[in-house]
Amino acid sequence: CQDDLELSPEDSRQTSASVFDNPESYQLFLAKLYAGFSLSGQQGPAGQPDLAGLDEGFSSYMRLYFMMQELTTDEAVIGWNDGTIKDLHSQNWTSGNEFIRTIYSRIMYEVALTNEFLRQTEEAALDARGVDSELKATITEYRAEAKFLRALSYYHALDMFGNPPFVTEEDPIGAFLPEQIQRSDLFSYIESELLSIEGEIAAARSNQYGRADQAAVWMLLSKLYINAEVYTGTPRYSDVITYTSKVIDAGYTITPDYQKLFLADNDVNGAQDEVIFPITFDGLETQSYGGMTFIIHAAIGGTMVPEDFGVSSGWAGLRTTQQFVDNFPNPEDSEDSRALLHSDGQNKVINNISTFTDGYAVAKYKNVDVNGTAGKDPTGDFPDTDFPMFRLADAYLMYAEAVLRGGGGSTSQALTYVNELRERAYDGTSGNISSSALTLDFILKERARELYWEAHRRTDLIRFNQFTENGIWAFKGGVPQGSTTQSYRNIFPIPSSDLGVNTNLTQNTGY
Amino acid sequence: GSVTESATGLPIPGVNIIIKGTTNGTTTDFDGNYTLNNVSNSDVLVFSFLGFTTKEIAYQGQNTLNIQMDESQAALEEVVLIGYGSTSKQDATGAVEKIDQEKFNQGAVISPEQLISGKSAGVRITAGSEPGGGSEIRIRGGSSLSANNSPLIVVDGIPLDQRGVQGVRSQLNAINPNEIEDFVILKDAAATSIYGSRASNGVILITTKKGNLGSDFAMTYDLKASVGEVAGKVDVLNAAEFRNIVENTPGTDPSLLGDADTDWQDKIYQTAVGAIHNITAQQGFENFTYRVNLNHTDQQGVLKTDLYERNALNLTLTQNLFDNNLKITLNSKGILDKNHYADQGAIGAAVAFDPTQNVYEPGSYFDGFFEFKTSPTQQQQQATRNPVALLLQRKNNSTSKRNISNINFDYRFSFLPELKFNLNAGIDYAELEGHETRPVTSAANNQDVDFENNYYGLNRNTLLDFFFNYKKDVEAINTNVDLTAGHSFQEYFISSNSNYTQSNELVFPFPVKDRNSLESYFARASFDIADKYLISASYRYDGSSRFNKDNRWSGFPSVSIGWKIMNESFMENSGVFSNLKLRAGYGVTGNQEIASNYGYLGVYSPSLNGANVQFGNNFIGTLRPEEFDENLKWEELQTYNAGLDFGFFQNRLTGSVDAYYRQTQDLLATVPVPAGANLSDLLTTNVGETVSRGIEVGLDAAIIEKEDFNWNVNYNITFQDLEVTKLSLGNDPNYFIPQGGISGGVGNNIQLWKKGFDPSTFFVYRQVYNEAGQPIEGAYVDVNGDNQITEADKQAYKKGTPDFYMGLTNTLNYKNLDLSFTFRGNFGNYVYNNTQSGNGFVGAGTVTPQDYYSNLNANVLETNFQENQLFSDYYVQRADFVRLDNVSIGYLIPGEKVDFRASLTGTNLFTITDYDGLDPEISSGIDNNFYPRIKNVVLGLNFAF
Repeated sequence: CQDDLELSPEDSRQTSASVFDNPESYQLFLAKLYAGFSLSGQQGPAGQPDLAGLDEGFSSYMRLYFMMQELTTDEAVIGWNDGTIKDLHSQNWTSGNEFIRTIYSRIMYEVALTNEFLRQTEEAALDARGVDSELKATITEYRAEAKFLRALSYYHALDMFGNPPFVTEEDPIGAFLPEQIQRSDLFSYIESELLSIEGEIAAARSNQYGRADQAAVWMLLSKLYINAEVYTGTPRYSDVITYTSKVIDAGYTITPDYQKLFLADNDVNGAQDEVIFPITFDGLETQSYGGMTFIIHAAIGGTMVPEDFGVSSGWAGLRTTQQFVDNFPNPEDSEDSRALLHSDGQNKVINNISTFTDGYAVAKYKNVDVNGTAGKDPTGDFPDTDFPMFRLADAYLMYAEAVLRGGGGSTSQALTYVNELRERAYDGTSGNISSSALTLDFILKERARELYWEAHRRTDLIRFNQFTENGIWAFKGGVPQGSTTQSYRNIFPIPSSDLGVNTNLTQNTGY
Repeated sequence: GSVTESATGLPIPGVNIIIKGTTNGTTTDFDGNYTLNNVSNSDVLVFSFLGFTTKEIAYQGQNTLNIQMDESQAALEEVVLIGYGSTSKQDATGAVEKIDQEKFNQGAVISPEQLISGKSAGVRITAGSEPGGGSEIRIRGGSSLSANNSPLIVVDGIPLDQRGVQGVRSQLNAINPNEIEDFVILKDAAATSIYGSRASNGVILITTKKGNLGSDFAMTYDLKASVGEVAGKVDVLNAAEFRNIVENTPGTDPSLLGDADTDWQDKIYQTAVGAIHNITAQQGFENFTYRVNLNHTDQQGVLKTDLYERNALNLTLTQNLFDNNLKITLNSKGILDKNHYADQGAIGAAVAFDPTQNVYEPGSYFDGFFEFKTSPTQQQQQATRNPVALLLQRKNNSTSKRNISNINFDYRFSFLPELKFNLNAGIDYAELEGHETRPVTSAANNQDVDFENNYYGLNRNTLLDFFFNYKKDVEAINTNVDLTAGHSFQEYFISSNSNYTQSNELVFPFPVKDRNSLESYFARASFDIADKYLISASYRYDGSSRFNKDNRWSGFPSVSIGWKIMNESFMENSGVFSNLKLRAGYGVTGNQEIASNYGYLGVYSPSLNGANVQFGNNFIGTLRPEEFDENLKWEELQTYNAGLDFGFFQNRLTGSVDAYYRQTQDLLATVPVPAGANLSDLLTTNVGETVSRGIEVGLDAAIIEKEDFNWNVNYNITFQDLEVTKLSLGNDPNYFIPQGGISGGVGNNIQLWKKGFDPSTFFVYRQVYNEAGQPIEGAYVDVNGDNQITEADKQAYKKGTPDFYMGLTNTLNYKNLDLSFTFRGNFGNYVYNNTQSGNGFVGAGTVTPQDYYSNLNANVLETNFQENQLFSDYYVQRADFVRLDNVSIGYLIPGEKVDFRASLTGTNLFTITDYDGLDPEISSGIDNNFYPRIKNVVLGLNFAF
């Protein structure tokens, strides 16, 4: 009978020994690496979660990343009672915060997934399976994309946690204790990884929609370099000029209508010419309770009509602070068409974070197409809208900022880029600025106006030293009028759950 | 002469015959015959055999002396199954307890474990509330964190799947309580380790009834008809109180309120009627017996639409062949289980639904039910759903067909009657089919089509085991030797399949198939030296398909000793003691009952519908590598046990005391894995240790023993504690893992696992109270003195499990009248009242995402809390209780042809407790949307023809 103890799956599951007998498996596995950002598990919208430590819907990468980058800033508050969610906005989180813990788990999960992909696609492994040269060439591109996605996740870890655990395809899978990497070393690692794949990944604008290409690599390098001073103490602004220029020269164009970037058909309505790297969602095919489902539903409440947003209900959670609103002239009916705010029935001032009608709502993302038709999901639960993680406008603003920070480049070019964005915003030149108005202070505000709720805000505020010691907004520090906080909160704590199991880790300073 | 059994007239082989005071003796052969020489007149012959009353006969010169022996009725000599064999109570060296029919709880018992609730020290049975619902059974509290903590249940030699059977409310319902002869509970490792890798949580052996050889045709009909209702309701605001709060809360719109006064809990609960019919026929011939039982059970739930129905056929055949050297036993249980499942979401909805609204709204699109809506046909998706509509608009019917059968061959070698061979082949096969629907007009259905869910399942558990047993009284060394060795193989196969509507389409997920198997070798040797000193040792060697080759096999040894002090000469003239025996044992058992069958193996899972990724214009499925731990292995439990069995005054007072110490190593727990090291955030792995200790006392007293009047008292008390002693690879003393999810926001946990604490310990802020003793909203003790209240100020506080618990049963007989009642109580346990904390603040009802309000727990009137205070220790409430579980009165009318017995039983009649919530007996320690337990009255009628 002893052979009967040697069992392996008999259903749709397969072992690592047999799964790659099917050459399609490589593509399916690569798809999982992308799904790591959009989906929460193997079943849409929920069921078979990737992570088990938190409610599945909450554990989505994009949902958590959005929460970390926006709820901690002046751009967003949320009214719910979920665990320690309110600590994010009041900036008094601890190392036990389950949302911080879960984005950390999510990032390291994505790293572990990509590591596994790289292990399974090593030359020797492919040869052992007799993979032909045509498939091998395809797999080489896949490997470059996998490394890009790993670099993206490590970039998030670098930005949010500073000194995360570090694992690569050289490590095994098991219950070992990964070593901790220091922030500057991680910076160098990400940089070298990105530079190494620059020549292997598909050329800019040549890959399938949804997949990373050279421009995505350049964009990530630009993000890395513009924050280099924060990460390593050494500015790299001239590199920002280099790589944003590559992006800008790759042939992307600014979509004429700002709103189009955030609609259900933003993969085909022209927005795709501005978006460099999206996280894709689909009402029928790519369903989750995180990602855009969260961002759209949670922003709807009060007098907002869910049908106008192409969904069946609002979750009445997300709003914004009066400090953010005041970045726009006449915010209730602004000349700046980027002020997609909903003020009807809402108080501008937040007295109670739990009350949806306190604070203006944000009507930026919608699950309707350019004609106002709702997305594919007939039940109105899951949007088609893709999340624009990197887009050309950001490259413009980074270029301008790098110029102002002394990275070289051309001031007039910078002004042209900024005014191109403002012409779209004002539907004409009425909002254009002069070169004297182009200051770092203006850039920070313009980034808020252009890129709010696109998960850049926390990083931007830290780079401008406005996140903790400076910068005041409603309920920052836990008080209604807002207060400053201590600078150690510029990075999040290593979750206590991981410190408890991984004795190689040292807590970030201050926590 | 020959020795035969008095009841059946069958010969008894292996009977010891000895001349008292000498070493001159013999044993009967396989035909029950014996020859003994050199016997003098007035010698006393002693006939003894396990399970029979020892007989002493004064020899009076006969040539032939034929003896009939009676099967022993005395408790001490009673045969007790111990797994792959049997022993007697007096020869048992482990903590073993047998509970038979006479001690069973009365009433309309559907699930068999309810027969023994409160009857045994160390065994805590927490009943469910659904019709036909099961119970949580914990022997010595359970020792694991994430692996299964339920005992192994062995029915007529077939170990059931500890995971249960899919789609039934309780897998034990397959065993008709009417057909159970007895339960034997194996508590310590000396007793359980013969079941090796599955024995850490104790073992319960269930034996079903069989016919008796040489007995006349007998038939009985038994009816139990019951009427029950909820034992309590959650205390919520009435319409006037609710309106008052809404009107006085700034920012609300009282025009959203209705003008009704609806008690929603009244609307969802009903008087539950049930009936259990049993017809049994049995007969015994010379070599053949049969017993047939037909059962029909119908039980409504107290929650409307909840229904359980069982039709079962039990058949037992025994056949003796080859001069009784071969005994064949066939047991077959066929069960057709039908359920209608009520939507239990109605329980929470009834507690939260606005009491100013009516149940029905004339002309409503939602089948006439009132619902909160944004337009006549569009419900507010975030609003509370009408609880009555949840119940009445959903259909969820399932049918489970199950057969548990085994055939047992027990062969005694004619040339060596001391040697027996036993072979047991069994199968437990269950098929499930279920259909759930919700019409498009149900507000709980967000789709534009009727919701439909069809589900199918199959469970198959096959067993083949055999063992040899050798029993001999070796006179030369005055020792009884009992040796057993055998082999077992068991395989579990589970498959499931479903299809359901999602986004208006019927989707077909991949079917799931799971198989795992266990192979085992086992042996036991027991010695009874001079009828005074007992030594027993057992060993099991188990292999599990759930672990890799290197970790697959493991041995589980045990050793135990007993000293029958009563048989020492110095006790001979004790007028007080009638029994005294000391026991001690040590053993190792295992636990391998974890969720994943392939947890050691790297497995890739494909994605299902709705989980694809856009590549260009195509959507690509995904392939996910699953987390795994190559080095996964058994959880191992070491148990030390010491016990004393005693009897006083001719066994009018008997009892046992057991004390144990248990240590779990390589604990299987689902814990955070070092980030980046594996393919998920949590991993089931061998980490940590727990230690548990306990003292168990069981007493039986025959207070009055008269011809017409008897009064027996059974009392048991159990003290136990469990603590985590290690939890991670690190050594941070403050490390803990949050546990115990609560309602009121996602991701909130109220308990923790931490070194030094019970795993059900609560983790809360210390509430600050004003002078009047009222909790001050948001005011907590700043434990670390940093002038702010953060998570660092949360403290471990109290726990959900009891420090001690007890059961007390009184049984009185007066002529043909009998009365019994059982009290049961838990002490030192606390409950987190999530019903109060989740709905007991103004914001819970008034701060809502859409245009509706929801009702509040009446506790808000005491606290006046405006916002949630979920983590306040105010809600951790003492939940000691004493419950009158069962009162039964019966009267027997013997007749010429028919004996008739009538009985009246009340169950769960009252509970004495200080706990404010619905029911203090909540095994998780978290009281939230609890299905109320039923309080019922049962009329029993029994006709024996």
